[in-house]
Amino acid sequence: MAKSDDTCILQGPLVFGNVVIGMCGIALTAECIFFVSDPHGLYPLLEATENDDIYAAAWIGIFVGFALFALSILGIVGVIKSNRTLLLVYIILMLITYAFEMASCITAATHRDFLTPNLFLKQMLERYQKSETVNNNDKWMTEGVTKTWDKLMLQNQCCGVHGPSDWQEYMSAFRITHSDADFPWPHNCCVMDAQGSPVNLDGCKLGVPGYYNSNGCYDAISGPMNTHAWGVAWFGFAILCWTFCVLFGTMFYWSRIEY
Amino acid sequence: PAPPALLPYVPRVPPAALPGKLTATTFALERPCCVFDRHANASDTVWLAVAFANASAAFRNPPSRADVPPYEQLPTAHSYMTLETAAAAYACSASSPAVLRVGGDTVCGGQGGWDPCNGPLPSPGPYRVKFLVMGCHGPKAETRWSDPILLRRAGSPSTIDPAPVRHGSDVVVIASILASLGAVLAAAVLCATGAEAWGSLCHQDSGTSTFARRSYRTHHIPPALPQPLPPGCRCSPPGLGCFAPRPPGPCPAK
Repeated sequence: MAKSDDTCILQGPLVFGNVVIGMCGIALTAECIFFVSDPHGLYPLLEATENDDIYAAAWIGIFVGFALFALSILGIVGVIKSNRTLLLVYIILMLITYAFEMASCITAATHRDFLTPNLFLKQMLERYQKSETVNNNDKWMTEGVTKTWDKLMLQNQCCGVHGPSDWQEYMSAFRITHSDADFPWPHNCCVMDAQGSPVNLDGCKLGVPGYYNSNGCYDAISGPMNTHAWGVAWFGFAILCWTFCVLFGTMFYWSRIEY
Repeated sequence: PAPPALLPYVPRVPPAALPGKLTATTFALERPCCVFDRHANASDTVWLAVAFANASAAFRNPPSRADVPPYEQLPTAHSYMTLETAAAAYACSASSPAVLRVGGDTVCGGQGGWDPCNGPLPSPGPYRVKFLVMGCHGPKAETRWSDPILLRRAGSPSTIDPAPVRHGSDVVVIASILASLGAVLAAAVLCATGAEAWGSLCHQDSGTSTFARRSYRTHHIPPALPQPLPPGCRCSPPGLGCFAPRPPGPCPAK
């Protein structure tokens, strides 16, 4: 197989480009597995909003990362052997992977914008400690939301989305089963002692500083979700920019291979 | 009996920023310290009279403890008295929490008219309150009526709009750049493969150029092995084949 000079020069950068793609593919898979494993336990909140597309984007990222790794090996073999068939297969499969990764990035970026404080506020008011559930799906989501909020308020020492006043400003499913006089806000908003009971329940009900949690939980929710969405979107974007250059070079190399 | 002494003290909701001082069914009041010391002795009790703001003018002090309007009569009588406390609890030297919570007891109520019940208030009000010192023979002193206290009214969560205000600029950047890169790649692949296909279609029966680019598969005829030169052949340059030498012509005559 005859090769012209410029293809010889291209081989080195193309192999290097494919090595980088392979490593980035593994990194993308690892990052997306980390996000899908939900270390902060916030998935039930997203599931109840029926808008868990940032998780779908992370799932796509797992498979795309693996595909990138496999294809990069194919690309390295194809470039070193200067085999037109191998390289054509590589280019076509890479384009398909490119399309999937594009979808994942744009989905993660777009759906992050839907996760506003009001979304979580409305969901918390309508589902937390809801007593009459319509069907099994509703029951599952309600239990998920209740457990997640209880854990959030205890672990992060916070109350409500913006603060305890959320429970006073709006009617809620919680208010139906818990009287306003005894529970101006859930008791998980109170400062707890080592045994898990409020230090001063009357002080907590009145809102005396030091006996209740005055800050909202929105930061504890949006922090991990932002990391998740931006991690998938921007890292994927960076990989795609690099892959674009490598693919372009590969196509040029492919067209220059002579027989 | 003499009318009760009017104290200049005005009950009020504590000015401190306590999120729980006004809820939908309860409210908090500043504890009156040192207010009743001159008018009350150790056996007197201090009551809190709560009335709807528009019914406070019609409120009449009960002549004895038996006539105290109970909590259950609030919907009909538009007023009631609660928080029966010994006067010593409001003395200057007493150390106690700085606020009183009206409406905090959800257990009482419905048990009968005698027990002073500090039950939750049934409607947002507005209410007015005053303190009344009751002795053995009737009311001895009273404070002024407070300003109207309006409780919270909770809104419905269906008024919350969860939609985002506008998409962030990040989304626009990512989407536009990725879409353009993808389009360029797709176009490049189409051009490259199209040029290949076009080239092969156009130059199918002409020229050596295709021979330089397309793979040339040989047919099943094996290449001929080099045959040993037949006797009499003279060496010839390879590739030109072998030719038998012409027999020498007749010698020219001498």
